[in-house]
Amino acid sequence: MTELTLAKALGSGLRRALSDDDKVVLLGEDIGTLGGVFRVTDGLQRDFGKDRVIDTPLAEAGIIGMAVGLAFRGYRPVCEIQFDGFIYPGFDQIVAQVAKLHYRTAGKVRMPLTIRVPYGGGIGAVEHHSESPEAYFAHTAGLRVVTCSTPQDAHSMLREAIASDDPVLFFEPKRRYWTKGEVDEDATALPMGKARVVTEGTDVTLVTYGPLVATALDAAVAAADEGISIEVVDLRSLSPVDFDTVSASVQKTGRLVITHEASESGGLGAEIAATLTDRCFYYLEAAPVRITGFDVPYPAAKLEDHFLPDLDRILDGVDRALGRENSLTGWSA
Amino acid sequence: MSTTVPVKAQKSVAKKQTPEFVQLLDPDGKRLSDDLYDPWVSDVTGDQLASLYEDLIIVRRIDTEATALQRQGELGLWPPLFGQEAAQVGSARTLRPDDFVFSSYRENAVAYCRGVKLPDLVKVWRGTASSGWDPFEVGMATPAVIIGAQSLHATGYAAGCKFDGVDSVSVAYFGDGATSEGDVNEAMVFAASFNAPVIFFCQNNQWAISEPVGLQAQRPIADRAPGFGIPSIRVDGNDVLAVMAATRSALDRARTGGGPTFIEAVTYRRGPHTTSDDPSRYVDPEVAKEWEAKDPIARVEAFLRSEGVLTDELAASIQARADEVAAEFRAGCLALENPEPLSVFDNVYATEHSGLARQKSQYKAYLEGFDK
Amino acid sequence: MAVKEFALPDLGEGLTESEIVEWHVAVGDLVTLNQPIAEVETAKAIVSLPSPVAGKISALHAEPGATVTVGTRIVTFELEGAAGDSDAPDDVEAAPATGTDTSGTAEAAQVAPERNSVLVGYGPAVESGKRPTRKARGGRSATNSAASSAANTASPAAKGGMAAQPPVPDVTPTEPRSEAPAVTAGEARTKTTPPVRKLAADRGVDLTQITGTGPEGIITRDDVLGAAEQSQTSAESPNAAVAQAADGDTAGSAAALRGPRQRDRARETRTPIKSVRKSTAAAMVASAFTAPHVTEFLTIDVTRTVELVARLKAQGSAASVLSVVAKALCIGVDRNPSLNSRWDAEANEIVEFGYINLGIAVATPRGLMVPNLKDADAMTLAELTEAIGDLARNARASKATPASLNGGTISITNVGVFGIDAGTPILNPGEAAILAMGAVRRLPWEYNGEVALRDVMTLSLSFDHRLVDGEQGARFLTDVGAILSDPGTVLSMV
Repeated sequence: MTELTLAKALGSGLRRALSDDDKVVLLGEDIGTLGGVFRVTDGLQRDFGKDRVIDTPLAEAGIIGMAVGLAFRGYRPVCEIQFDGFIYPGFDQIVAQVAKLHYRTAGKVRMPLTIRVPYGGGIGAVEHHSESPEAYFAHTAGLRVVTCSTPQDAHSMLREAIASDDPVLFFEPKRRYWTKGEVDEDATALPMGKARVVTEGTDVTLVTYGPLVATALDAAVAAADEGISIEVVDLRSLSPVDFDTVSASVQKTGRLVITHEASESGGLGAEIAATLTDRCFYYLEAAPVRITGFDVPYPAAKLEDHFLPDLDRILDGVDRALGRENSLTGWSA
Repeated sequence: MSTTVPVKAQKSVAKKQTPEFVQLLDPDGKRLSDDLYDPWVSDVTGDQLASLYEDLIIVRRIDTEATALQRQGELGLWPPLFGQEAAQVGSARTLRPDDFVFSSYRENAVAYCRGVKLPDLVKVWRGTASSGWDPFEVGMATPAVIIGAQSLHATGYAAGCKFDGVDSVSVAYFGDGATSEGDVNEAMVFAASFNAPVIFFCQNNQWAISEPVGLQAQRPIADRAPGFGIPSIRVDGNDVLAVMAATRSALDRARTGGGPTFIEAVTYRRGPHTTSDDPSRYVDPEVAKEWEAKDPIARVEAFLRSEGVLTDELAASIQARADEVAAEFRAGCLALENPEPLSVFDNVYATEHSGLARQKSQYKAYLEGFDK
Repeated sequence: MAVKEFALPDLGEGLTESEIVEWHVAVGDLVTLNQPIAEVETAKAIVSLPSPVAGKISALHAEPGATVTVGTRIVTFELEGAAGDSDAPDDVEAAPATGTDTSGTAEAAQVAPERNSVLVGYGPAVESGKRPTRKARGGRSATNSAASSAANTASPAAKGGMAAQPPVPDVTPTEPRSEAPAVTAGEARTKTTPPVRKLAADRGVDLTQITGTGPEGIITRDDVLGAAEQSQTSAESPNAAVAQAADGDTAGSAAALRGPRQRDRARETRTPIKSVRKSTAAAMVASAFTAPHVTEFLTIDVTRTVELVARLKAQGSAASVLSVVAKALCIGVDRNPSLNSRWDAEANEIVEFGYINLGIAVATPRGLMVPNLKDADAMTLAELTEAIGDLARNARASKATPASLNGGTISITNVGVFGIDAGTPILNPGEAAILAMGAVRRLPWEYNGEVALRDVMTLSLSFDHRLVDGEQGARFLTDVGAILSDPGTVLSMV
């Protein structure tokens, strides 16, 4: 057990993957000599060589497409997309090729790719560096989509993703890269397809993932001061979603709030709200509430606090779910 | 010597053999002759070159000041153009007001030359706005952060000019790394196909963050364009005169229906990728030192001094002007106001969007619930 | 002299701390704008800090080698300007233990954590380490919220049998909320939540006949339950057992067969709730919903008791199975006193009685009554038998004195006379236990290792779980059972 930042935990996960399987190769921009713009791959090229930790030319379609070819050849590529907003040149290769090859070839061709993407905002950045594109990929059949929120999860989920024979979009919450936590590399970890109840509660189920898990936990602490008991669920897996865990929680509390950075319309909150309404209709005391980014492009740094869900907005949603006075009391369109 | 007549090359000086690119002013400040490109700058007087020199000094000063502002917590980020002043100034000063520029995030010297006001240069970096200026006021698009995307935009704009029957030209500025992106290659295909009046101006500053140009290209970048059917010029990007000559020749080709040109300006990124990068991890200090000796400003200074154009008095007044600009720039930056919270909903659409109007109304109600 | 405090900025690398490597200036130096004043280490690269102002260094607040948190003051400048008192701006956090000394004390030495480049912006916000709290909202003070939440949180916790109330907000909306166009009365669906809708369907309650009392007229769970009660003709059947006068008859006559239903019966007959039934009902409710009831059962072979009673009667002594049970109970209490106690909430004490006022449940024409025998523990078996008989007779003749109806400490109810085996009797209010004795039946039972027909009876003991725990109740019951199955056991108990 060691205390590591989330970024270092990812790095140690990659190191283990590279050690455990000769067919694992890393591809990405600036991952070799520089060790990655977030230093996640620091030291790996030095230790495993240029043929296993590969600095690629500046082209996302190239990175993914090349990985597809390598996978045909029996390799297990781990691609890094430098920032969320840069994934789009590679989008075609991901959704048209990576996602569909196993299906198209009746299972003959496997795409055991892992595509690592630092995502999310809250770092005061310029445009295209704070996106949350996970819904596009969760909506694409053939892809698994997961996201971590702690160093331990970062480490074990990444190793599981790499070992999976399915393609995995691995979203890393970049504003949490410096969060520290205990990491036991050999612990039996919760499978990446499962959600985790992080803190138990009785009044409201608060479902979230990635960068907002820490925010949700803060909200639960603040809410406790008002006598409200919030159960925080970290989804971890966005495709598939572990609805059993979430359902059990909502059946206990009767109230559901979902929060994510991504914009509201067509976001994963909608998917969760719809499915939970279906499965827990007779347990719900109130309609599910979504607290999300607005339907606007990610704004300039000085405005990002008015886009991202924070503790106060989340608790406003909790108030609404509890039937307490909230910002929409008395509001009319 | 007179400052108002064009400066001529000294024929007695042996022509420096630099077959790999066009050079009219060597790193030591010696004026070289080039039969093909001399004509394009034969009109440049001593005064004009001194004015270019002042531009170089000023944009470097702005760049240094911006870096300092970032270190002082006033900007979130700044991508320095240190070392690339000649490539940007030399090309930008040749453009007409009706030409249009599509650049990357590093072309702040181009923006300065296009007439962008000083505080507007940093709005994006301070995070108070998503863009710094109105593109149509200065004939320059909001710089692209997505690598290479702008090259397609420049191509489309050029096609539009052609359809309109005007002789305006669009210029796409991008770096060596960008040439690996599909967009840049597709842009060249389209530009050739449409014979678009576009200049692809590639500043090969040798680095894409930590990746050396050798990772992107296995032969000079300028060699690619002819493969697409586009004439190509490789120029010493640190030579403001050569850059000017090359750009003028490309403009002329575009304006007279000759279609696109690709210019590779060979230069060096003397600073980090951005203020948060750590080049000590990947830059060989020896190589960096070599490029310091090829500095764009030093050579112009040397030449102008040797021609007697740059007197101490003139140098001092240029320095004073640079200080003035820096002070104005700093003050303008510090005076930038944070945007109003509800402005996060503005300008997503050109027309009313019901869903968004509702979200804005709800968020307004939410904000009003707090104690002031 | 104007003063500027300069705090360590976030150098865009997502830093929370940096180490001062070297100062390029000393106190008293004059510096120009952007003049490098320090080297600072971040992410294993050294960064030069340019002076944010032109002025004089009046204080340096960190030693070389010190690690400084972002936002902490590191330099104080004296600016050229009008003379005046130095005034530190409020927005700069002062480094602790610092004044205007020339060499400020260093920050507590901390290991600078490894930080990695964000590359693209200001970096993530530094965690303050303070307890997270909500921003203050106008018109909603913390106490308001606490009050409403206290009222509201009762509801989510209650699940299962208890009615859960949907929370009611403190403040009624000032403007009507109208999101949808008005719908004519006949077409509008009733507003309620899915679980309440199902409840209404299950109970056969017509939602359109209910006025909702929830926010914005939503029909609440209580609204539905209230409507359901009103329309019910009978409540749930009472658990209380009614007792017959005890005269020792062991042959529990089964309930008399009812006659055929009369066809000209009224649809509804109404009787005002008063007097005995009213007070009994009230007492029953108070008892049932205050004391946590637990009931334990014991089925025993009482053949020896039956034989004993027959022998005693043949000798001319008054005896009955009921009085033997009463006697056994007194001995059981002696050994397990917690069953003879009271929960005195007002005094916040548990009272253990040193005497037994034994209540006997009696069914009278006016309703169930439980008069008690004072100091039953001091009575002989014969005295008990006669006293019980008197008690029952007086009660049925409506001659029970108020004194006899008060002060009971433990009770017996004989359900056996109605042919009933066992029940879950409700405690007489204020008492810790009540013992129900069932009918004595002739049943095959184990006897001397073989199956034989024996007289078998079930004892049902309800007790107040606040006063008696399971083990104590069990011991008491087994004591009573032991006596009844072999009366000679008493010799080992007294």
